[in-house]
Amino acid sequence: MGKRVRLLIILLFCAAALAAGIGMGSVAVSPADVLRILGSRLFGLALPERLAGTQLSIVWTLRLPRALCAFLVGGALAASGTVMQSVLRNPLASSYTLGVSSGASLGAALVIVTGFTFPVLGFLTLPAFGFVFGLGTVVTVLLFASGIDRGFQNQTIILAGMVFSLFVNACLTMVSALNQGYLQQLMLWQMGSFSGKNWQQAGILAVVTVFGTFYLCCYARQMDMMTFGEEAAKTMGVDTERTKKRLIVAASLLTGTAVCFTGTIGFLDLVAPHAARKIFGPAHRYVLPVSVLMGGAFMVLADLAARTLLAPTELPVGAVTALFGAPFFAWIYFRKKG
Amino acid sequence: MNAKKAADREEKMENILQLEQVCSGYGEKEILHRISFSLEEGRRLAILGPNGSGKTTLLRVIAGLLPAQGSVLLSGRPVAGMKREELARRVAMMSQFSGTALSYTVEETVLMGRFVHRRRGMLAAVTKRDREAARDCICAVGLSGLAQADVTALSGGQLQRVFLARTLAQEPSVILLDEPTSHLDLKYQTELTDYLKAWGKQKGHTVVGVLHDINLALRFADTFLFLKEGNQIAYGGPKVITPALLNRVYDMDVAAYMRESADRMEDLINGKDKNVPESL
Repeated sequence: MGKRVRLLIILLFCAAALAAGIGMGSVAVSPADVLRILGSRLFGLALPERLAGTQLSIVWTLRLPRALCAFLVGGALAASGTVMQSVLRNPLASSYTLGVSSGASLGAALVIVTGFTFPVLGFLTLPAFGFVFGLGTVVTVLLFASGIDRGFQNQTIILAGMVFSLFVNACLTMVSALNQGYLQQLMLWQMGSFSGKNWQQAGILAVVTVFGTFYLCCYARQMDMMTFGEEAAKTMGVDTERTKKRLIVAASLLTGTAVCFTGTIGFLDLVAPHAARKIFGPAHRYVLPVSVLMGGAFMVLADLAARTLLAPTELPVGAVTALFGAPFFAWIYFRKKG
Repeated sequence: MNAKKAADREEKMENILQLEQVCSGYGEKEILHRISFSLEEGRRLAILGPNGSGKTTLLRVIAGLLPAQGSVLLSGRPVAGMKREELARRVAMMSQFSGTALSYTVEETVLMGRFVHRRRGMLAAVTKRDREAARDCICAVGLSGLAQADVTALSGGQLQRVFLARTLAQEPSVILLDEPTSHLDLKYQTELTDYLKAWGKQKGHTVVGVLHDINLALRFADTFLFLKEGNQIAYGGPKVITPALLNRVYDMDVAAYMRESADRMEDLINGKDKNVPESL
């Protein structure tokens, strides 16, 4: 099967996932009706009478922004996972490994608990804090790793990341324990949720995810070369220190922003790149965009499962991704070894 | 020969590589002590010495991978001040330990060597010239049938040839090889060293190789550097190789060993070997 056909299938898969994410739920809306509503809102086309009330508001104000947010967050996490895996040459590397997620969680928790808001552009408070704390944790991890190991070995980075993640997680638990009043909000946030996502958040996520992915794609060849080891990449003309730092910062921006809108969601950033590699081979010029698409589609489906499986109770989406992601990851990863 | 040609020739024979009082090592530990030599363009240098004598370290210093005291000049310019990309256009290195866990094809892997020659940007396509260069290099190392094969499925020797092809695809003026033939059988060892020799001669490129096998080194190189415990023991043309030097470098009677091997081989070939017991 040619690459174009495979890409087409993946695009169809994304469209199907989005249609299911928007259409399914307590009120079912057919894909055709979803398109009609989109047509009327975006292009001012006439809308049939029967869709004008509940259906319109459910699709336009609730499910569509929610599904888009899920897609963009999934894409952002997948892109960042792909990059971390290549840069650190470890299939288990992810934003979790470097402490981005836990750092961002701590930042967001502080915002939630203190109720702090920027006087201007207040809606950016949460993502900004998430990003700064996520990046702060990564920078600390990198400084620590380069301090104890001059060679800046990948194992050192990963171990340092683990240590700092655990430490920051402990801080997060302390913050929650000392602020019992916010416990439920914080708990919910740590498990991840797309409930109540709006257009504004979808907009910010779209900008970050699209530009972030585009930026990372510019380094596709360097990432290919770095999978052969840093020395090999250096002798082929890659300034690996600089490239590594840029890539880690960009990946942290993606994760940091995604995480602080939705809470921490695991496993997707491990699974999506592996799935993309299985389908398109390892070259990053394919793997990066494809894992963004697949990560997005997976996340939409995970969110759909989270809100429909035990309806009316909504599951945390992080629990769903881990529930399906962990066995799936084990299967993908160990199958080739067997 | 007119004056211009002579001047050109003069230019061509200038030192491509010049090391002066180079010391280097890892962390506190100094491994190389005051290495100094200069190499003319188009020469083939073999670096020889026992295990742990600093051969690979020296290659890494020349490739700019390891900081060093003293000066390492490439066509008169210090390696330390060069950007990675600029350095990679002049020097390529085939390292002993490299590999990937990901299933790139042989062609994709060799095309990576074209990085410094390709256009920037995400959408920069692989040019026809890049593809041709990669194909030529894959053919040169005898892997044309495996261009689309998965590198993780190759044997050690095949992988080594892939990396050699990638190094050649970089089209540098100096090529550094760290035991390029360690995984190869006799046929490929000689074939590849002969190919490299021809390649160097044809393009006027300089080749610097760490070689374990003295016979192979003699077949391949015209200049020799002997190291022992990080010290430069000898440097120069084939004439520097004397029994005394070899004995000193390797701490054994190398000449006697070689003579013995050669004698035994000759006996075997002539059916006069006395070392085989009657029962065999």
